[in-house]
Amino acid sequence: MLAGIRTLLSRIGLTLRPGSEDDDFERELRAHVQLMSDDLVRRGVAPDEAMRDARIRLGGVTQLRESHRERARLSWVGSFVQDARYAARTLARSRGFSAVAILTLAIGIGATTAIFSVVYAVVLKPLPYPRPEQLFNVFQVQEAQQNTGTGWSYPNFADLRDRNHVFSGVAGSQHHQLTLTGWGDPIAVNTSVVTAEFFTVFEGTPITGRIFSTRDGEPGAPGVVILSEALWRGPFAADPNIIGRAIDLDHRSFTVVGIMPEQFRFPLMRESRQLWIPLRQDPLFGAWTERRGGHWLQVTGRLRPGVTPAQAQADLDAMAARAQREFPAENAGWTARMLPLQRMIVFDVRSALLVLLAAVCVVLLIGCANIANLLLTRATTRSREMAVRAALGASRWRLARQMFTETVVLGALGGAAGLAIAYLGVGALSSLVPPNVPRVHDIRIDPAVLSFAVALSAAATLAFGVAPSLFASNVDLQTRLREDGRSGESAGRRRARNALAAAEVALALVLLTAGGLVLRSFAKLTSVNPGFDAEHLLKAEISLPRFEYSTPEQWRGFTRDLLNRLHAEPGLQNTAVTIPAPIADGAINLSFEIMGTPARSANASRAANYVSITPEYFTVMGIPLVAGRAFDAHDAADSTPVCVISEALARMYFPDRTPIGQRLRFGFPPGPDVTREIIGVAGDVHDVLLEKPPGAMMYVPFWQAPFPGAVLVVRTTLDPGAVVATIRRDVAAMNPNLPVTDVGLMPDLITASLAQPRFRAFLMSVFGIMALGLATIGIFGVISYSVSRRTHEIGVRVALGASRGQIFRMVLGETAMLTAAGFALGVPFAMFATRLVGHLLFGVSDHDPLTLVAVAFTLAAAAALAGYLPARRAMRVLPMVALRHE
Amino acid sequence: MHRGKLDILQGTLDLMVLQILDTMGPMHGYGLARRLEQVSEDALQINHGTIYASLLRLIQRGWIAGAWGTSENGRKAKFYSLTSSGRKQLRAEADKWERMSAVVGRVLRTAGRG
Repeated sequence: MLAGIRTLLSRIGLTLRPGSEDDDFERELRAHVQLMSDDLVRRGVAPDEAMRDARIRLGGVTQLRESHRERARLSWVGSFVQDARYAARTLARSRGFSAVAILTLAIGIGATTAIFSVVYAVVLKPLPYPRPEQLFNVFQVQEAQQNTGTGWSYPNFADLRDRNHVFSGVAGSQHHQLTLTGWGDPIAVNTSVVTAEFFTVFEGTPITGRIFSTRDGEPGAPGVVILSEALWRGPFAADPNIIGRAIDLDHRSFTVVGIMPEQFRFPLMRESRQLWIPLRQDPLFGAWTERRGGHWLQVTGRLRPGVTPAQAQADLDAMAARAQREFPAENAGWTARMLPLQRMIVFDVRSALLVLLAAVCVVLLIGCANIANLLLTRATTRSREMAVRAALGASRWRLARQMFTETVVLGALGGAAGLAIAYLGVGALSSLVPPNVPRVHDIRIDPAVLSFAVALSAAATLAFGVAPSLFASNVDLQTRLREDGRSGESAGRRRARNALAAAEVALALVLLTAGGLVLRSFAKLTSVNPGFDAEHLLKAEISLPRFEYSTPEQWRGFTRDLLNRLHAEPGLQNTAVTIPAPIADGAINLSFEIMGTPARSANASRAANYVSITPEYFTVMGIPLVAGRAFDAHDAADSTPVCVISEALARMYFPDRTPIGQRLRFGFPPGPDVTREIIGVAGDVHDVLLEKPPGAMMYVPFWQAPFPGAVLVVRTTLDPGAVVATIRRDVAAMNPNLPVTDVGLMPDLITASLAQPRFRAFLMSVFGIMALGLATIGIFGVISYSVSRRTHEIGVRVALGASRGQIFRMVLGETAMLTAAGFALGVPFAMFATRLVGHLLFGVSDHDPLTLVAVAFTLAAAAALAGYLPARRAMRVLPMVALRHE
Repeated sequence: MHRGKLDILQGTLDLMVLQILDTMGPMHGYGLARRLEQVSEDALQINHGTIYASLLRLIQRGWIAGAWGTSENGRKAKFYSLTSSGRKQLRAEADKWERMSAVVGRVLRTAGRG
């Protein structure tokens, strides 16, 4: 053992400093000959003869030296180093080839690694909680109504928590904003309201302080709050004595009991600055804990060790059946489901990201095919070199190894350059990834991504290196040495090259089709009319602390006062209040009844998006009134309750009669079970997302249905900064502790709402262009190489009377054949790919003929361009030159 | 194979080199080759080059060490000497060899008589 190690060490020593040992051995052999001839001379042999005899007795010096060297070094390490050095020299000699190959590879690996870093951070990386695989989102569904993935009411959650046999813990959470005052300017702070079990279920450990206890969740418990690290470091300036101090949220005092570390972000995955308070102590949701109806609490459960998801689902089913029996009014038709928390968090971005990863892998594959083709071409031109080496005794295996070493060196250089590109790419991507994608802050090149890049480089090297190595080493000595290395290309090698080029066309077709559809879908999306005029529209939000403004009268009074002040400002006459604002805020979906129409069954209620507005709203927004009238000053708190519905609602529920004069009833505070008369129909608005069709909407007068706060919409041509300053000044004049938040220009907000589709469209376009470029280069390479190989043949053809046009057509025909083969190969895959991106599309069929034709045309045009240049060269071949070519 | 002369197995050559270095002290490559021929009374005809393969093997195993010195007639030559682990190895190998050749000899005699 020891001897073996010493052998290895001495061999490595020799390998690492080649040369010195060789010299030493050389001297020793000379000494040997000298000593022996001395000996022979002493015995009477003539000096010349003695020297000669001595040399003979020693044996073949070259051989001796070789075998000594072989033995003295680790032979495979030696030959690898030798091969690698040789490879580096060869690559350095053909700079053009090396640059193209390394660059292609670097871009492919860099782009793929960068996209992978996003996929890894967002989709794959385990959540930063202990044993995250045990965490499941538990949600309620009402299948008959296609109500999927809703939350729970507090009493239903409490039953789930107390009756289940499968979870070690269950926690509920919700979030909204509260106003933090007393620490500099008042700010609206993201507040997660959680049940007392929350931190226990997530096993979150605070940096300092404690987590919530059961006592904090009891009615009447004193207010407590846990801060996020970023919030503590921000507004609280990392105050070391913060624990035990009281802070004001919505003018109510909460004692700070703990600080959670940076990586703990739930349920708000995207916010670093947030705080947590017990659900019961929340001014908004705290009041809802007694109501069994409603679906607002997001529930997370931690499975007991050893319990399978199937067992848990069975338990959920049993509990749902019991809940339906016990409280049919609230629970009829509702069951419970669960999904791994990680899947739930990335639900809407997961498939889009995987499509992007697949797309960039296709680009890399095309790149590999290109490099393989370049290598095959080179192998052909180097076949004489290979033949000579084979003749000098290199085995086929040895030659293949030499060739493969070259590709490994290429792969390593490409991978290293790719990693550099990935570093740049990740920086660029992080700023490009839409901010509403969860866990964006985690995107970076970490060990996992690094390993991916290394594995990817290795896989790519295998992909482009194996075939050329085997082909290159397949040397038929006889023919190769006799020929001038001219027409010495085997049919197999030519076929391999054509197949690779056709595969590139096929892959490019797949990618361009998918990319074309995504791009066209995005174009459609941006041209969607939101239903209102977004130009020169500005929005800002003020929310009223409920402890300070607790009655509807106060809410009405505040908003009336604010509007009066703003309307008096020059240039702000066009100001209205709405809750919520379209696209920027999402929607409040409420069920309602139509009076005089039989109520539908319990699990088929009607629902529409509810908006509370001041009378100026439709004018300010530019939403047309289709029938009836809009609200006016007469629709006050004490007059007949009225509402305006959207065209979509009219179409859905009043298909055969006029809705004007009909009455609706919806159970929503402040006056539950108010019956409202429909007085008008307004144009449809994309109130949630441009991608989503306009929902059924109902507008109610703010004066009849006030909220503790206001979203201002202002149509003005004044400078937005000045407008916001005016609003802040007027708000501060009324109450210096009220922050003005969520300020934005409507066109910007619409643009921001398109961030994800834009991100997809942008990257798919980039990948599509890369694929097109690479495939074009691939075709160009194959055709122009084929032309240069066939110069002699073309010369003969011209000498025999072929016209230039015929030659030109012959080469273009070859290009067309190749492209056609690529299309034939690619169309089935493209069809499959369109199905994969189908769910990402808006307003475009996944077999959109325009896109398909455009893609086919683009690819054909690129192929024609790639074939045109070599064809022109072929056309200009002069027979005499060609025939003398050899 | 030359008549009357023995080809030698690799391991045997290594063992003989160790044995010679043990009895004769440090020697250079040529000296070793000469000595081999002498002790075998020229029955062993070796290509002198193979000595060096053997020497390299033994150095790599750490059983001998080499250093440049001056020969008896004033020539520069590389001298090899046994290391302590080489000496140990020689004892073990020699024992094994003797047991082996005894066995081989017995088998051959028996086979010859039968």
